[in-house]
Amino acid sequence: MDDKSMLLSRKTFLRGTGVALALPWLETFAQGNPVAETPNRFVSIYHPDGVGLPLKSDPAWEDWSWFPRGGEKDFKLSKVLDVLEPLRSDITIYSGLSHPAVRRVHGHSNADQYLTGAATGGHGAYKNSISLDQVYAAQAGEFTRHSSLVMSTNGGVGGPRGAQTQSFNRQGRPIPAMNKPKQIFDMLFVTSSKDAALRLARSKSALDLLITNARSLGRQLSRRDQETFMQYLDAVRDTEVKLAKAQKWVDTPVPEVDTQNLHLDAEPKEARLYFQTMYQLIYLAFLSDSTRVATFQLGRENGEGPHDLLSRAVGLGGAHGLTHSVKNPNGWKNLGTYNRYQAEEFGRFVQKLKDTPEPTGNGNMLDNTFAMHGSASSSFHLSRNYPIISAGGKNLGFTNGRYLKFGTGNDDNQAGAGILSDAGWRGKIENEELPLAQLFVTILQRLGVETESFAGYTGPLSRV
Amino acid sequence: MKTQKIAILLVFISAGTILTADDPEIPITLDAAREMGRVKSRFLSANDTSTKTKDVIPKANLSHFRNSVRPLLTKSCLACHGPDKSEGRLRVDQLNPNLLSGSDIGQWREVYNVLSNSEMPPEDEPDFALTNADRGNIVDWLSGELNKASLIRRNRKDHSSFRRLTKYEYNYALQDLLGLPYDLANKLPPEATTEDGFKNSSELLQMSAIQFETYREIGLNALKRATVTGEQPVAVTYIISMGQEMHKATGGKDDKTFDKDDAAYGKNRTRQHLFNQETGKGIHFSNGKATPAPEAAAGQTPAASPVVLVLPRSNELKIDLGRFLPDEGIMRVRIRARRSTMAADEYAALRLIFSAHTSNNANFSQVISQRDLPVTAAADNPEFIHFDIPLGDIQRNPFRKLTTTFPRRDEFLHIRNESNAHHREEPLHVLIDYIEISAPFYEHWPPQTHTAIFIESDNQADEDIYGREVLNQFLRRIWRRPVTAQEVDQFMALFATYRPEFSTFEDAMLEVLATALATPEFLYLTHRVKDHMAKGPQKLSDLEFASRLAIFLWSSIPDDELLNLAEQGNLREPDVLETQIRRMLADPRSSRFSRNFVHQWLGLDGMDSVTHVTDDSLRAAMQEEPVAFFDVVLKNNGSAMDFIHSNYAVVNERLAAHYRIPDVRGPHFRKVPTGTQTMRGGLLTGAAILTMNSDGIDSHPLKRGVWMLERFLHDPPPPPPPNVPEVDLTDPEILKMTLKERIADHRDKPACISCHSRIDPWGIAFENYDALGIFRTRIKDIPVDATSELFNKQRLAGMDGLKRFLLTDRQDQFARAMVHKMTAYALGRPLSFGDRADIDTLTAQFRTRNDRLGDLVHLIIGSESFNSN
Repeated sequence: MDDKSMLLSRKTFLRGTGVALALPWLETFAQGNPVAETPNRFVSIYHPDGVGLPLKSDPAWEDWSWFPRGGEKDFKLSKVLDVLEPLRSDITIYSGLSHPAVRRVHGHSNADQYLTGAATGGHGAYKNSISLDQVYAAQAGEFTRHSSLVMSTNGGVGGPRGAQTQSFNRQGRPIPAMNKPKQIFDMLFVTSSKDAALRLARSKSALDLLITNARSLGRQLSRRDQETFMQYLDAVRDTEVKLAKAQKWVDTPVPEVDTQNLHLDAEPKEARLYFQTMYQLIYLAFLSDSTRVATFQLGRENGEGPHDLLSRAVGLGGAHGLTHSVKNPNGWKNLGTYNRYQAEEFGRFVQKLKDTPEPTGNGNMLDNTFAMHGSASSSFHLSRNYPIISAGGKNLGFTNGRYLKFGTGNDDNQAGAGILSDAGWRGKIENEELPLAQLFVTILQRLGVETESFAGYTGPLSRV
Repeated sequence: MKTQKIAILLVFISAGTILTADDPEIPITLDAAREMGRVKSRFLSANDTSTKTKDVIPKANLSHFRNSVRPLLTKSCLACHGPDKSEGRLRVDQLNPNLLSGSDIGQWREVYNVLSNSEMPPEDEPDFALTNADRGNIVDWLSGELNKASLIRRNRKDHSSFRRLTKYEYNYALQDLLGLPYDLANKLPPEATTEDGFKNSSELLQMSAIQFETYREIGLNALKRATVTGEQPVAVTYIISMGQEMHKATGGKDDKTFDKDDAAYGKNRTRQHLFNQETGKGIHFSNGKATPAPEAAAGQTPAASPVVLVLPRSNELKIDLGRFLPDEGIMRVRIRARRSTMAADEYAALRLIFSAHTSNNANFSQVISQRDLPVTAAADNPEFIHFDIPLGDIQRNPFRKLTTTFPRRDEFLHIRNESNAHHREEPLHVLIDYIEISAPFYEHWPPQTHTAIFIESDNQADEDIYGREVLNQFLRRIWRRPVTAQEVDQFMALFATYRPEFSTFEDAMLEVLATALATPEFLYLTHRVKDHMAKGPQKLSDLEFASRLAIFLWSSIPDDELLNLAEQGNLREPDVLETQIRRMLADPRSSRFSRNFVHQWLGLDGMDSVTHVTDDSLRAAMQEEPVAFFDVVLKNNGSAMDFIHSNYAVVNERLAAHYRIPDVRGPHFRKVPTGTQTMRGGLLTGAAILTMNSDGIDSHPLKRGVWMLERFLHDPPPPPPPNVPEVDLTDPEILKMTLKERIADHRDKPACISCHSRIDPWGIAFENYDALGIFRTRIKDIPVDATSELFNKQRLAGMDGLKRFLLTDRQDQFARAMVHKMTAYALGRPLSFGDRADIDTLTAQFRTRNDRLGDLVHLIIGSESFNSN
C-alpha cells in the first residue's frame, strides 16, 4: 500500500467510525516508518465486587460460574462470558493471579492496589505506590498531549482503601479520576486554557535565567567539576525541550470531533448510555492519539454510589447487593447477568478497536492495544484469584485465544467458591497463586518499558 | 614520652602473663584487653614517617627492599606465591618493588593488609612463620612506600567533592531557610547509596530533568507555605471542656454515673472516664463530638474545672470534628493535662492520631504528632501541652466536602495516652480538663516565616528598591555568599517579566524566589577555582568551607553567624573555629549528623525492609539505639573503642525489656551500666544490626560476617563469583546438619573456600544472638556453638572472644575504618588510594588523642582534605 492510498483509507475509516474526526497531525505520519510510529496503548477497566463463583455442587455452577472450563486452548465459556465468544481469538482469560501483599485483607479495601500491588493493608496508616498505567504513562506521555486518561464512575480519588481511581503517581498519591463525559470530552477536544500558555511562558523565562546563571558558575569551576556540572545543564536543556513540546501542544489545534453521536450528558443511572459513552471517549482519545494510556474504574468497592446503578442496564437492583444475595432465588444468575453485561460492553469496545485500522497502517488498533478487564476480588470479598480478561496486543507480542491457569491447587476455581459470609476472606489459604505483578512486568516489557520488576516482584510471567 | 610507653607496655604484658599463668582459662577483662591492644598500635609508635614526606619529592626506597624485605618475602611467602604455586594468583617475586612508578599497588595493598592483620603466613605453616620483628620490618617499609605513592596520586589527581545536595540535605536546607519544620522534599525521587552505604557521595548524586523540574515546584510550594497574603483568616476553633462533656454525657441525670465510693469504682477507674473531683461522680467516656464554637478565640486559659477526663495507659479520647477543618494551615491542639500520680518510674505522654471511616472497610488512621509529648505537671498544677499539625500534609477525609452524606464525611482526632503505667494499686493516669483545637493557627500575623522573606523595610512602597532588598537577602542566604548587584539585576529582570501577570508584589516575587531555589549554587556544593586546569587539591575559600562545615554537622546550609564569620575571613582562625564547632555540635541541628552518619555508616535503612519485627515501638527503638549510642559517645567525647565494647548500654524502656535489662523506665534513651558482662555494650550487639543481618527466622552468620567486614572493619570481601553453587536444601544429608555445619560444608567447596574462610568465622561469633538480637545459649535443645577460627587460625569464642580479639589485635584497623568512614561522609565523596596518606595521618592523630570521637570531628575539620576540594 503506498502512502497516498493509506491516507485515503484512513479518511475512509474515519467516516466509518460514526463520528467525524479531523486529525491535524495525520500528514506527518505519511513519511515515517509505520511500525516505529505506531503507538502502543494500554487500558485497564476495573470492576468492584468480584464475580460469581458458585460451588460445583450448586446447580448454578454450570451456567453462572465466571471462569471458563477446560484447557488452555479448548476452554469453554460459561454464560457469564459467552458474549465474548465472537472475540475468542482476541482475548486471554487468567486465573490463579493476585497481589500477595493483601491476600488476607478484605476485598472491599483492595481496589486501591489492583494496579499497584502495594501493601495497602486493612486499617491504620496507608501508603500506596505507582500504578501500572502510570509507569507506562511516564514513558508514553512524552508523545501525546495527555500522558494518561483517568476515569471512573464516581470520580475524584475516593478515600484510602476506598479508591475511586485506579491510577497512582510515583509517590503513591491517587490521581483524580474524571467521571463526567462532558468534562472528559472538553479536556480532550476543546482548546486548552490560556492559563497553561502563561505558565509555560513563565517557565521559559525562568529557564533562560537559570541557563545564564549556570553558565556563569560553570566558568568558575575546575575542569573536572565542569564535567559533573554538565548534568545540571543537560537537565535544564531537557526541560527546555519538554517545554518546547508542551508549547507545541498548546499551539497544536485539538482534533475536531463531531459530537452528534456522543451522549455527553449521560449519567450512570442511564447505565447503557453512560457505559458506552465512556468507552467511546477512550476510543476517541486513542484514535486521535491524545493519549496512549487509560484507566476506567466502574465504581468503588462496597456501598452506595453512582456505580451501584450500573446494574440497571440489565434491569437489576444495586450492583453490590447482587453479590450478597447469590443464595436468593436466581441469585447466581443475577450476579452472572451483571458480570455478563460488563463483559459485553468491554467486548463492544474491543470489537471497535479491532474494526478500526491503525492510522499508521500497522494492523488494526486492537493489535497495538493491550486492554485488560478485572477486579481485585474473585468472589465475595475474597482477595485472591482475580478474574482477569485481556484483549489485543498482537503486535506487542501477546498470543490470544487462551485460558491461562496459574498457581496450583485450584484447578476448577473452587477455592473460596460459594462463600456467603466474611468467613471467606479470613479463611486459610490452601492453594498457591502467582503474583499478578509478574503479569504487569510482562505487560510493561511488551509495551516497551525497560524494567525487570514491579512492586518488588521480579521477572515476567511465563507462558503469557 | 617514649620511656613511659615502654613502661606501660611492660606493665600490661606482665599483668597479662600473670593472669594467664595463674589460670589460662580465666581471661583478662575487656578493659585490660583494650589497654593491652592500645599498646600494640602501629599508629602510636614513634617512627611514623608518613607526615614528613610532604614537602620533598618522594622517592622509592628500593635499597631497603633489596636488603631486607625481599629476603623475608622469599623465605616466608615464595613457596605458595611464587613460580611453583601461585595461590590467589599472587607471585611475590614478580611484584614491582617501586610503588611510586610501578603498577602493582593493588597487590602490594593486599600484601600489606594480610601481613598487618596477621592473616599470613598461615599459622599452621611453622616453617614459613614470620617473627614479629620481621613482620614489622615488611609492614613498615610497605606502609611508608604506600603513603608516598598515595601522596603522589593525590597531588596529581583532581578529585572532587563537587556535588548536589542529597534529598535529605535539601529538605533540611529548605526547612532552615524558611523556618518550616515539615517534610518538604518528599516529591524528589529516592536516591541510591554507594556500596559502603553513603548517600552523600558525589558520584551518585545525579540530576535529571524530572528532578530539576521538581525542585522549582517544591520551592514554590514551600515559599507559599511560608508566606501569607491579605488579612488573617478566621480560624475554626473547637473547645472541649470536660465540665460540659460531663453535663452532656449524664444529661443532668445520675443514673449512668458511678461513685468513687462505690465498691465497683476500683474496676471503673482503670477504664477511661470523666470524673468530678468535687462530687466523686464519674461516667464512662471515650467518644466526644465537637462543633466549632462560632465566637471562640484560641489561646484561652479558663479556670481549672473539677471535672477531668481520666485517661489510663493506652486509652484514647476520640473526638468527632465533623467536616469543618480547613484544607491547609496549622492545626494547633492545646491540651491542659496533668499526672494523677508522680511515681518516678512511671511516665505518660500524649500522641495525636487522625482518622476517618468513610464506608465499610474503607477507613484509615494515622499518627499525626511528630513525637509523643510527655505529661509532667503534678495533679494540682495542670499545664498546657500543644501540638502543631500541618493540615495540608496529613491524610484527610477526601469526602469532607460532599453535599451528600455518603461516603461519610467526618474526621476524627484521637488523643492517646502512651504510658508505661504499671503500679497495681494506683497506676498513673493522665487527667485532662480542657482541649482547644484551632486552625489555621498563627502565632503572629503576618507570621515570622513571612517577614523573614518579605523583610521590614522603609522602601516597601517602591517595588524596585524593595525587590532588590528582598532578593539580596534571600540570595545571600541560599548561595551562602555575598551577591553582586549585577546578579540581583538578573532576578529583578525576571521579576519585571512576571509582575504584570500577578496582582501582588509578593505573588510575583515568590515565582522569582522559586526560580532562585533551582539555581545550581543552592542545589550544589560548589568550589570556585582561579585556574580550572590546575591539578591536585585546591584550597576552599572561607565561604565554601562554611558550607562544607554546615553540611557535615547540620546536613544543611550555614546560618548567619557562620556566614558572617566566613565573610569576615575569621572562621578558620583556630579558636574561632573551635568555638564554632562546639556551638554547632551543641545545636539541636547536630542530631542530623548523628542520625545520618550512623544510618549510612551502619546501613540502618536495612531495618526498613525487615518484616519479622512486628512491634513498631521495638523496631523504632532498635533503629534508634546505634544513633543514641553514637550520640552519647560524641557528646561525652568518649573513646570510639566503646563501639567495640563498653561497660554500658544506651537503651530506653522498650529496648531494655528486649535485652532483659531491668529497671529502665521511659521512652528516652539513656546510658545504663552493664557491669562486667560482655553480651551487651558497644555497637556490635545492637538488636538492629543483628536483626537486619538475619534471615527473618534465625541468625545469618554470612550476612553478619559481611556486615562486620564492610561496615565495621572496612575490609569488604570481594563480591561472590558468578555460578557459585547454592546450599542444596533438598539434599537430606544437608538438611540433617546444624546451621554451622551447613556453612562449614559450603565453605569446604573449592569455589567458596577462599572468600568464606574470610567471612564466616566473623559471623559465627555472633551465633549467641537470634534473629531479633536476643541472647541465647541454646538453639532448641542444642547448646549454641559460637566458636570459630579466623583465617589466620585465631580462635574467636563467641561475642566475648570477638570483642576481646578486636580490642587486643585490631584496634588500629577499627580506628582507621572509623576515620575512613567519617571522612568519606564529611567530604561527600568516595575516598581513593590518593587519600590513603591523609587517612593514615588522621588515624595517627586520632589514636594519639585516645580515640576520642569528638576530637575526631575536630581533626577531620582541620585536615587538609576537608579544607580542599
